[in-house]
Amino acid sequence: MSKYQVGDRVTVRDAPTMFHTRTQAFTRGRTGVVVEHRPEWVIPEDEAWGRDNGRTERFYVVRFNQRDLWADYTGSDSDTLESEFSERWLMPAKEETK
Amino acid sequence: MSSHTNFDVLQKRVRALAPEEHTVLDSPPTISNDFFDALRHVVHDVGGQPDGPMAYKEKEEEDWEARTYVTCECLAWRGVWSAEERRRAENDLGETLYFGLPYYARWIMVAAKTLINKGIITPDELSAKLEEVRQRLEVKS
Repeated sequence: MSKYQVGDRVTVRDAPTMFHTRTQAFTRGRTGVVVEHRPEWVIPEDEAWGRDNGRTERFYVVRFNQRDLWADYTGSDSDTLESEFSERWLMPAKEETK
Repeated sequence: MSSHTNFDVLQKRVRALAPEEHTVLDSPPTISNDFFDALRHVVHDVGGQPDGPMAYKEKEEEDWEARTYVTCECLAWRGVWSAEERRRAENDLGETLYFGLPYYARWIMVAAKTLINKGIITPDELSAKLEEVRQRLEVKS
């Protein structure tokens, strides 16, 4: 059972990474919506170092609003960007007060 | 949001490392933590970095590029590495080599390094092969 369902709001963890990572710096700490489940696969943190039988996790495609990613974004409000994360990189989004 | 600020600070440091605008790196006795964060920023994570317009160029694939691709795929097929391990090795080349080499030259460079790292070939064997190829090409020309 996937921890997050399509439509869930999730925040990308800003966890320290010493070396290789596929979690882009510009997504750290940002909140988006799960739009797709991806198959379980070896997490990049293991696969990148030749641990092909390493830990497997579910992956999620998360859609962000561009305005939430770039402080000086000048494009349309409806512009989005999608990226993929293994489960360890996501946490449930806190309720935002508007 | 504090992570906005952190990202902006990180990007400022990474921008200073980009090829067109160099921070002088001369093995300083000490560095700050945020400079260390910028130094070890994963090279392929370029999202958000400033860049200028680039001319679009249609390029024919060359033989050495196709051979490099097939060689690297065969190494994966025979269990030497995975695409993710290759990408990590490419990042580990560092900015100068990463941005200085053509795309497939990066691949073949890290293929050779990985084969040596894993003890599958020796540096001597690689040198001997390079010498053999050099002589073959000299005879041709």
